[in-house]
Amino acid sequence: MERSSEVMEMGTELGKYKTCVSARSTNKEILKKSQDGGIVTQLFAYALEEGIIDGAIVAGQSDEPYRPRPFIATTVEELMTSRGTRYNISPNVSFIKEATRSYGLDKVGIVGTPCQMQAVRKGQLYPFGWRDVDSKIALAVGIFCMENFPYQSIKQLVEDHAGVKMESVKKMDIGKGKFWVYTERGAVVQLPLKVTHKYEQPGCHVCLDYVANLADVSTGSVGSPDGWSTVFVRTTNGDNIWAKAIAAGCFETKPIDQVKPGLELVSKLANEKITKNQKTVEERAKFGVNKALRNPYIKP
Amino acid sequence: MSKIVEISPTTRHEGHSKLVLKVDDAGIIERGDWLSITPVRGVEKLAINKTMDQVPKIASRVCGICPIAHTLAGIESMEGSIRCEIPNDAKHLRVVLQCANRLHSIALHNILILPDFYIPGTDTKINPFTPEEPVRSVAKRIVRLREIGQTIGEIAGGEAVHPSNPRVGGMYKACTPRAVTKMYDLAKEGLTLAHEQMDFMLAVIGNMKKRDWVDVGGKQIPLPKTLGYHNQGVMASHPVYSSSNLDEHPGWDPKRWTDVRPYDWYMGEGEVSLADPGYPIGGTSPVGTKVNPQMEACTGVPLYDGAPVEVGPRARLVTFKNFDEKGTWGQHIARQMEYTDCLHAMINALDEYNPSGKVLADNIPQGDGSLGWAANEAPRGCDVHLAKVKDGRVLWYEMLVPTTWNFPTCSRALTGAPWQVAEMVVRAYDPCVSCATHMIVVDEDKRIVAQKLIQ
Repeated sequence: MERSSEVMEMGTELGKYKTCVSARSTNKEILKKSQDGGIVTQLFAYALEEGIIDGAIVAGQSDEPYRPRPFIATTVEELMTSRGTRYNISPNVSFIKEATRSYGLDKVGIVGTPCQMQAVRKGQLYPFGWRDVDSKIALAVGIFCMENFPYQSIKQLVEDHAGVKMESVKKMDIGKGKFWVYTERGAVVQLPLKVTHKYEQPGCHVCLDYVANLADVSTGSVGSPDGWSTVFVRTTNGDNIWAKAIAAGCFETKPIDQVKPGLELVSKLANEKITKNQKTVEERAKFGVNKALRNPYIKP
Repeated sequence: MSKIVEISPTTRHEGHSKLVLKVDDAGIIERGDWLSITPVRGVEKLAINKTMDQVPKIASRVCGICPIAHTLAGIESMEGSIRCEIPNDAKHLRVVLQCANRLHSIALHNILILPDFYIPGTDTKINPFTPEEPVRSVAKRIVRLREIGQTIGEIAGGEAVHPSNPRVGGMYKACTPRAVTKMYDLAKEGLTLAHEQMDFMLAVIGNMKKRDWVDVGGKQIPLPKTLGYHNQGVMASHPVYSSSNLDEHPGWDPKRWTDVRPYDWYMGEGEVSLADPGYPIGGTSPVGTKVNPQMEACTGVPLYDGAPVEVGPRARLVTFKNFDEKGTWGQHIARQMEYTDCLHAMINALDEYNPSGKVLADNIPQGDGSLGWAANEAPRGCDVHLAKVKDGRVLWYEMLVPTTWNFPTCSRALTGAPWQVAEMVVRAYDPCVSCATHMIVVDEDKRIVAQKLIQ
């Protein structure tokens, strides 16, 4: 356990950021179907219209309900079909190279979980097999993530535990310590998170990043009131785009210290994730003959 | 009394090769042997029992300059063997890819040959890396042409080097309308630049044709008017793209091809008896160095109708456009003329291409072991791949790469030139030696008689 002190200093759980606000889109159409504040959709829509990006890789619709499939949106209309969160994996990074190839994009936007942001940045740092891809990533938006589920898990939770057919689900949400399922006919089912734990992907249990530290802009509902999202603006690039979007009137914002529950809750959950997953990281480092997984979070 | 000079390695081309030259007292070449000394990689052996999808991708790894030509020739030889016709839109994308490859390859070759040439009207040789005008803007133009070729290759082929998009039966991905527009715009930009670049190169080559001497290592060497002339035939399968056994009128005939072992072709053992330490880049090999081309050569000698042939831009233009320039300058001129040809072909293919069309054949047969071949017109000439596929696996595979065809032809073209300009003759073939290094020699009955000469 003495290792954990060198692993991550307390207070760094939110990563580096320039500004943090609570925000929501000013576009009613986006808010109609968005998860919370419609930040990702609104930011990409603005960037698309302004030519900051010429396409965005988002979690699109597939043949099965609530199963996301990476999708390259090149218009706002296409973007609108992908609003909302679906709590399972959308391998967006796998599309990033294709976006610069047969889609012919030069300025790519991508949204993803913290681990996907890590992959994007790693690809930019060591662009092996990413010839002319690294320089074409124009906007990377990260979303807060405690853990993710395979599609089979979500199906089991919704259909077996909540007793709702996937087709009739209107919205899913994780918040206030519960997994919520809203149906088309108005029923609401809530499952305690204790039930969902065993359905999580095991791979998520080594992740020490809750708030997408490496994104240009990261966002999530935690810390803000219902219908609003917490937004961290992290990089210079992110800051430029965010400032322009604010100036264009895309978002309403409130200072984060004036909203409830505020940054404290984000910090609390981030630390919870780090502390919990730290154990798995340490266990895995002792696999086999102590030559197993290197802890990527240890400072050199 | 003839003497032997050895230039090893030869420079400013891809791969590793050398020249062994028998010269007379005046330094004129009586017999030249240009041979590859790149070790054999044995791709043909690796291919056996691999799936037909894997083999073209492996084959493309023989070279980083023409991986597109090798991928396409490999895939089309598989398609030839399994008798698979691909949709038209896939074909258009392949043509775009092919031309993109040729565009950036010609531009690269410009950089490699320019130091042999003079700025017209002066006795100053061209250094493509100088920051001074007029050369600087030429270098920038070359770099932009290469960038255009590679970007278009990347979009149509998935990757500019070792394209991932082509597959047996067509292509994996169609290009979106946006991607097509992007390629089209790039090609249009390239066309203007290619015209300028072609004009510049033709002026430089024309100036060189008029010169009587060239400076090599500080000495004035006379330039014969017949530099690089030979009496061999030419071979080309298609003006731009490729021909295969599925064509109604195939542009190549496997029955006319035979192979000879290097042992029976090149000079035997000898000793260097003439050396010039002042020759560029470290001088020639010192007197007393042992040479043995027939044992050192790493390529077989492919013959068409029993004789070596020239392949490449000049061969294409002679075959399809009545081009009549010969020798080293003829080859250079032909290559520059292909600049605009390949951009026009690309633009036409993009016009024809339908982004919502099908790019993969509905039915991909698995093959019954019959022979298929594809003769792709790579930047350096006719690149023939032959394959036999049965139940999706490759039983037999063979690559007859452009420079392999050119080795014996170029060796003959050296005769009559001062030995100091031999490398200029070699460079006019734009040799790509590493992919040319293959050794499976078959006799007239197509039986394999030598896989590799082990020394």
